[in-house]
Order: sequence, then C-alpha cells, then structure tokens
Amino acid sequence: MSPVDFTTMLAGMTLRNPVLTCSGTYGFGEEYVNYCPLEALGGITLKGITPLPRLGNSVPRLAETPSGLLNAVGLENPGLEEFLRSYLPKVRKMPTEVIANISGFSLEDYVQMANALQSDSGLAALEVNISCPNVKHGGMHFGTDPCSAEEVIAAVKATTDLPIIAKLSPNVTDIVGMARAAQRGGADALSLINTLLGMRIDIDQQRPLLANTFGGLSGPAIRPVAVRMVWQVADAVDLPIIGMGGITTWQDAVEFLLAGATAISIGTGNFVNPQAPLDILEGLKSYCQKHGRSTVRDLVGLAHKA
Amino acid sequence: MNCPYNACIRETHELRIREGDGEMLTEGLVVVHEYLGEAEQRLRRLVLRGPIAKTAKAGQFVAVQVQDSSISSFDPLLRRPISLAEISLDEDEITLLYRIQGRGTEILARARCGERLSIMGPLGQGFSMPEAGELWLVAGGIGIFPLYALAQSALAQGLTVRLFWGGENQSFLVSAGLKAWQALGLPIHLSTLDGSLGDIGLVTEQLQGRLLQTFGQTKLTDQAHQLSLNQIMVATCGPKRMMQAVTELCMNFAVPVQVSMEERMGCAVGACLGCVCTLINKEGTLIHKKVCQDGPVFRGEEVVWDESC
Repeated sequence: MSPVDFTTMLAGMTLRNPVLTCSGTYGFGEEYVNYCPLEALGGITLKGITPLPRLGNSVPRLAETPSGLLNAVGLENPGLEEFLRSYLPKVRKMPTEVIANISGFSLEDYVQMANALQSDSGLAALEVNISCPNVKHGGMHFGTDPCSAEEVIAAVKATTDLPIIAKLSPNVTDIVGMARAAQRGGADALSLINTLLGMRIDIDQQRPLLANTFGGLSGPAIRPVAVRMVWQVADAVDLPIIGMGGITTWQDAVEFLLAGATAISIGTGNFVNPQAPLDILEGLKSYCQKHGRSTVRDLVGLAHKA
Repeated sequence: MNCPYNACIRETHELRIREGDGEMLTEGLVVVHEYLGEAEQRLRRLVLRGPIAKTAKAGQFVAVQVQDSSISSFDPLLRRPISLAEISLDEDEITLLYRIQGRGTEILARARCGERLSIMGPLGQGFSMPEAGELWLVAGGIGIFPLYALAQSALAQGLTVRLFWGGENQSFLVSAGLKAWQALGLPIHLSTLDGSLGDIGLVTEQLQGRLLQTFGQTKLTDQAHQLSLNQIMVATCGPKRMMQAVTELCMNFAVPVQVSMEERMGCAVGACLGCVCTLINKEGTLIHKKVCQDGPVFRGEEVVWDESC
C-alpha cells in the first residue's frame, strides 16, 4: 500500500499527524505514557490552568450517561506558578507538540498567564478556554458573549507570541458568531467543541447526582452536535479547526475531517480506550489508502464539496 | 455543598515516575465466571488469566471494559474499576469479586468463559504491609473483597492476621466467601445487623472491644505502650462511614490504619481528576489526591471525611 502523509499544518505548528488529545482528559501528559507513546501523537493539550491553584468542586464530580459522561471537576489545577516550576520543565522535553490550556475569571487572569507562556517556554501553542461550564464565570461568559470573546482573545494575542487557539463553548445559540468573534480577536485556530451543559438527578436520593448540580457532557453522546458545529464554522470562517466531541473511533475522526476539521482531538475516548489515538491513526491510514488519498489533508472539508 | 475549607492551596503536585510499574492495557481471558454463593446475593466471581498478576499487589485494582462482546457499543461508556481479590502468580490469574448493582455490572456478568475482556491495570497504590506484628483487617459488606489478597500476602510474609467483618446477615457472609476466609485459619470476628451470625451490631463495636481488650481502658500514650501499639496495623474497606469510625477508633489507640477509598472514576489513571479524595497534610493544609492513582489506599488519619470537601 502507498504511504499516507499525515503531516498537518495548524496555526503555525507543524504536527506529525492530526491526532491530538483534549485538555482535561490527558492530565499533564504523563498519565497515559504506559498506554500510548507521546511520540505517536500529533500533540497533547494539557489540563487547564488558572493563575491561582484551585481545589475544584466536591465529589461526585462524574456521572455516566447513555454513551456519555458528565463532569464537574471545577478546574482543579496547581496554578500558574506551580505549573511553571514543576510541570513546564518536564513538558518541554516531551516528544510531541504540547499545547497549554488557560482559563480565567477576568481579562487580567488570561493576560497574566499569556504573559508567562511564550514561545521560548517550549510550548507549541496556547489554547484559550473561554468555555468552562463548571465554575462560576469559569470563562464561560467570555464564551457566550461575542464581544467578551473577541476582547479576551485579542488581549491574549497581544501578550504572547505563541499561536492562539480559541476553545469555544457549544452552549450558545450562534456558534458561527462566536467563531467570527474569536477570529476578529486574532485567534489562529479554533477548538470545537467544549462540553455541553447537562445534569442528572439521583432518583433514590431525589437530588442532583453531581455535587456541582450541573456538569459538562462529553463522549459519543455529543458527537453529532460537535460535527454539526464544525461543519457550520468551517463553512463560514476561514480558520483551521481542531474538531473534538466524542471522538472514540477512526470513523468518528473521519467524520470530523470531512466536516472541515484540520485536526481532531480525543478526550473522553481515551478513558474508554487508552489506545484510541493509535487505533484512530491506523484507521485513518487505511481509509486514505482505500479512498486513494495520499495525504490526510485531502480529507479536510471534503463533505462540503459533495 | 460548600466545602468549609474553601481556601485555595499551594501543594506541590508530585509528578509520578511510572517507569516499570507494570501498568498496561491488556486482555484477560475469562477462566471462571460464576455466582459467588447464593444467586440472590448477586455476587460474582470472575477469574481472568493474563500478565497483570505478575506485577499486581493487594489493594490495587483493574479497570474492566464492560461490553457485550457480540455488539460493539459505548453504552455503558466507562470502564468499571474492580479491586483485586486474589492474585495468583503461579497461574497468572487475578480474581475479581463484584456485586451486580447497575447496568455496567449486569453486562459484565454476562461475560462467558473463553471470552477476553479488555482490562487496564494493575492500577493505583496498594496496601503497605507492616514488617512484623499483627495486621487487623476490618471489612464492611463487600469491602471484604480486596482484603482477601492482602490477607494472603500478609500470611505468606509470616504476619499474624485477624479479621473483623460485618455484614447484613448470615446468608450474605456465607455467600461472600466466609468459608475461604475460615480456610486461612485466622481468628475471625463476625457481626451481622440481625444477629444471624456472630455478634449483633456493627463491626466497629467488635473492633472497639478488641482494641480495649488489647490496650486497656485508658488512651495510652506512654512509650512502653507505644512500642506494643506499633505491633498492630489496621487495614479497612467498606462503607465510608464505617471506615471513618474505624479510623477514629484506631487513632484513639495510636494504631496506624489504612483505608481503601471508593469514588466514581473516569480515566482510572490520574488524568481526569474525577475521583479526588480530600486529605489533610502534615502542615494542616487540605489537598486533593486522586483515588485512582494516589490511592485507593490512603492513611486513615489523613483523610478528611467531610462529604462536602
């Protein structure tokens, strides 16, 4: 079989392949090394950090749903200072592209982190989370109001020389409007989508199942919503998209590429199959060969041309 | 719902060195899968053959994919964490004991001999073993399961082991493996809620009685007694409230206690922060540890039992 070129250009980065992992599902890059070698991945996105350390929400933080998972971790993280001291030195030695994910509660928070994270840090890009549903003002108001989104992306862009990826919330009426706002702010790429706000109720205890009441829904359950949003944004906005939301198999990954994603990211799918990235790469290769495509880049947005 | 200690903390999150810890994704061949005791107790015994036994220790667990093997499906989505009840190096086998109590375990219960189940493991940190002296095991209900592997390795190491076990009634205790425990030839203190076997009441009452018998009525702190106290270590698994009571009792007598915590898990490898347990460190600061990776076994004295944390 002819070889398939996986090289993916995205927001100024050259990735060895288009398969990434999602923030919040892959820790700080060390947790899955016994299952999936980092050098096999196009890149990883680290757990979201905030300026100050956070303990996050109480347990229960997780609730399973049909083909899905609700989580309300609440941005538990060691904080910027500890990240810079203990994690960044390790991260820069990792044999893959590493994207940091930042969250804040004010414009100043985002700027403070962007200021500390520049291209000499060894990071490949900054993903700006303006869409966390699990903490009060956990960036989500930046993610649901186009003016705020534009403002925060512009401020981060002006502060760091790293490529900026805006991670958008699906909990909006007009995803295209949000994508355009991020583009106006100067985003180099978009991550689509974060989790969908949901909840479950314990019918025996007659109270919400999650300590936080609401949580973000992820997993295969949300995939059709994510594919639709990638499709809409790809149609309307000229920015590369990292497609995510329930990707678990190579078929899922192909759907996102065909819908217009330049790269794809695996989140909850890692919990189901910690070798999902490897299986997806294998499947993508066979798919390209079967369809006579010498590069995976040829698949991007193909369904729009049909 | 609000944690009374809502202050943000600065705790050095240690990066774990994971080389050589044997953790892997593998397939376990189902060699035995049967009811444990009476079917109405809904307890199952699952023996899997595979390489995990080689590096596993008591107190660790595996994350089992629960899927009807004939139809690929992502519902239920997540793997189920199940503790190791027995580790057989000779046979390369691990034994998982579980209760059918939801959709996931119902589907798992259908796995037939000869099938292969996808498992991740061995996961987490197991029990630590005292070098000498007595190991007291305190179990509530099916919390007995991970303690069997611990008893086996403690006995193999020449330790004296004593079991305190409380359950609903005789039928439960017998189904959940009482005979296998009796075969180990160690002293067993049983209690049931209805008095149908052993003492009527809670397992903690039995433990308290034995602690008092061993150390006398007063809370002892002098050095001579400290030495004797150090000869005993307690390991417990069961409902949270029971483990809390066991910890408090042990702390009264300065007896070290290890607790095996349970929490809803996502990734099972420390990546998603879904299953945290609140601990209080030596400086008196509240910190979160991951039940899947830093636990499931913690030092009882360190656990903050307040549910809202």
